[in-house]
Amino acid sequence: MTKSHLNMAYRRVNGPGQSLTSILSHNNCGIHQPCRTGTHNICMVSDFFYPNMGGVESHIYQLSQCLIERGHKVIIVTHAYGNRKGIRYLTSGLKVYYLPLKVMYNQSTATTLFHSLPLLRYIFVRERVTIIHSHSSFSAMAHDALFHAKTMGLQTVFTDHSLFGFADVSSVLTNKLLTVSLCDTNHIICVSYTSKENTVLRAALNPEIVSVIPNAVDPTDFTPDPFRRDDNVITIVVISRLVYRKGIDLLSGIIPELCQKYPDLNFIVGGEGPKRIILEEVRERYQLHDRVRLLGALEHQDVRDVLVQGHIFLNTSLTEAFCMAIVEAASCGLQVVSTRVGGIPEVLPDNLIILCEPSVKSLCDGLERAISQQKSGTLPDPEKIHNKVKTFYTWRNVAERTEKVYDRVSREVVLPMDKRLNRLISHCGPVTGCTFALLAVLNFLFLIFLRWLTPDSIIDIAVDATGPNGAWTQQYSYSKKGEENKEISESR
Amino acid sequence: PYPEPSVRCEVVGWQKVLYERQPFPDNYVDQRFLEELRKNVSARKYQYWSVVFESGVVIQQLCSVCVFLVIWWYMDEGLLAPQWLFGTGLASSLVGYVLFDLIDGGTGRKKSGRTRWADLKSALVFITFTYGFSPVLKTLTESVSTDTIYAMSVFMLLGHLIFFDYGANAAIVSSTLSLNMAIFASVCLASRLPRSLHAFIMVTFAIQIFALWPMLQKKLKACTPCSYVGVTLLFALSALVGLLTISGVGAILFALLLLSISCLCPYYLIRLQLFKENIHGPWDEAEIKEDLSRFLT
Repeated sequence: MTKSHLNMAYRRVNGPGQSLTSILSHNNCGIHQPCRTGTHNICMVSDFFYPNMGGVESHIYQLSQCLIERGHKVIIVTHAYGNRKGIRYLTSGLKVYYLPLKVMYNQSTATTLFHSLPLLRYIFVRERVTIIHSHSSFSAMAHDALFHAKTMGLQTVFTDHSLFGFADVSSVLTNKLLTVSLCDTNHIICVSYTSKENTVLRAALNPEIVSVIPNAVDPTDFTPDPFRRDDNVITIVVISRLVYRKGIDLLSGIIPELCQKYPDLNFIVGGEGPKRIILEEVRERYQLHDRVRLLGALEHQDVRDVLVQGHIFLNTSLTEAFCMAIVEAASCGLQVVSTRVGGIPEVLPDNLIILCEPSVKSLCDGLERAISQQKSGTLPDPEKIHNKVKTFYTWRNVAERTEKVYDRVSREVVLPMDKRLNRLISHCGPVTGCTFALLAVLNFLFLIFLRWLTPDSIIDIAVDATGPNGAWTQQYSYSKKGEENKEISESR
Repeated sequence: PYPEPSVRCEVVGWQKVLYERQPFPDNYVDQRFLEELRKNVSARKYQYWSVVFESGVVIQQLCSVCVFLVIWWYMDEGLLAPQWLFGTGLASSLVGYVLFDLIDGGTGRKKSGRTRWADLKSALVFITFTYGFSPVLKTLTESVSTDTIYAMSVFMLLGHLIFFDYGANAAIVSSTLSLNMAIFASVCLASRLPRSLHAFIMVTFAIQIFALWPMLQKKLKACTPCSYVGVTLLFALSALVGLLTISGVGAILFALLLLSISCLCPYYLIRLQLFKENIHGPWDEAEIKEDLSRFLT
């Protein structure tokens, strides 16, 4: 997913008054059913959260906001980002713990499986968390939290956002670790059916405990504006990180091929990355400076302004679990041309997307079809496309379906220690299974030691910011008219 | 029962799409689950005898190392006169040089554009320099204990065997490193010989057997497979006989090693293919099959 996808956290936290107003209006309808019985105390854990930007980050943020709206208590745990450490509150009292853990690689923390237990246990007890929801298989912290939560007897949910192959040594190892991590997790959520198949195979899971809940986009952020585009030429928009996995090499073949054939064709490329250099080379080699614009990294709020300048959106990814970019583009009323990889064929109906094989020839054919439709005027009106797409994926729907998972999970029993050890040994192979069973026992002993050191009973209970007795929600409902300009507070 | 069933009444079957709200729970598992799973897409079927034939490269290299060590032993014991080895080596190099061009009718030479004058020049330069430096080579490792030299040579020759380019496309393969290790081992061993002439001839022989001989073999294998099999057998036999004159047990062990590599290992490889389970599906990263560099040249 494009780098610029997180967004709201950025804008809503930093933008004063105006943005808060938009949240309030956004959150107004149908909130707080006070008589709801099954509210949960949910703790989202992932290494990836604002100020980092990406699909996982925006997913966690948006899902949390909608769950708060539905009356649950939600907190987020992530690692410290530079100066951003300690506890912060985001919109509607979403409490975020930035823990002082060392980052190892690619914003993922190092793991020893034990060092995070004291901190996480303290948080889980203090916030009276009942469900741990971890995100992203690349996040070591997410896996640590799952491990500790099971030791503490809490319910666990895991969301997998990415696809993984089976062919090379590194994926064999990571898949083994995923098997260990998920074999006793209560429920797993995947973002597409392909992703579900992938996860079930990778972690050798029972498919019944894997739910498919897609990502969503905020349709109000992505509205069409046909007057912004120049109808004398045809503009193809590409917004993606410029890396190999996004198929930028294919793009470097498509640009010269089509630009030579159609003199009235322009490209706009948004995004940054190591493959930018080959696009610049192509532009140089074929003298396309006035027709191929490379915009560099985009802020999320600018994405829509770039999208509406185009007629056709091109996605050349080589692998993709869900692909929010094509939904955003379709929501802006563009005709989408994309490679047929991963979960992409599930995302949009056939009349809104042209699917191609991942080769220059096939993608050029697909684009030419879109161009001829555009020229003959047979493409549907952007407004019509938008109205259709906006019903597909909404965060409310995602939250509703995730809530069902929580309800289901909260009725299940967490495996007691002996069964958990059995499960590990029988499910993960003799060597890995026994190793991790031993680690689980050590973790349990460590937990007993910590409980002896600081008993649960003397840990302060935090004041709920959200949830049924949330200080924030009550205050907010009493005084929401008067305090629209109230800034996000920071406290410890 | 789903909250807002926007599903048309006539639709009952499950669809693998996300944009439609379907009347199934989110954890529903359809019969079509994993239907796009493919196994062993790129698995190869091996023929026993072709694998045995391909194992010839490994046999040849093992025998080269063996022959080299046997010759060194003879020199060290004073049983082999250096002049004699030099004469034989020179003669066989000349024969090999002529053969190298004869096998493919000179097409390889035309392609590379290398002249005979250039060959002669590099041979002369090499021989002169090795001859000039051989007194240095002789005394180079005098202060190092002989055990260390032996241990180092063993590791270097093992390294040579490990990194040698047997034709596999793997990251570990490095023919430069492999050749360097072999030459280093030969320099180590040569420094333990009685005189500097011995050292010079030992290093020259190492170049012949580790650098020139594999090139000739490769060409033989590509152009005349039958003669390659014959040459490999002969070479293996001579290595075995040479080893037999030094140590009977060593020769038997070496023979067993060669047999297991050429006969048992291929059999085992083919048996293990039955257990291969390589999973492919729509989640795999797509491969770009075409050559995209044409757009930039």
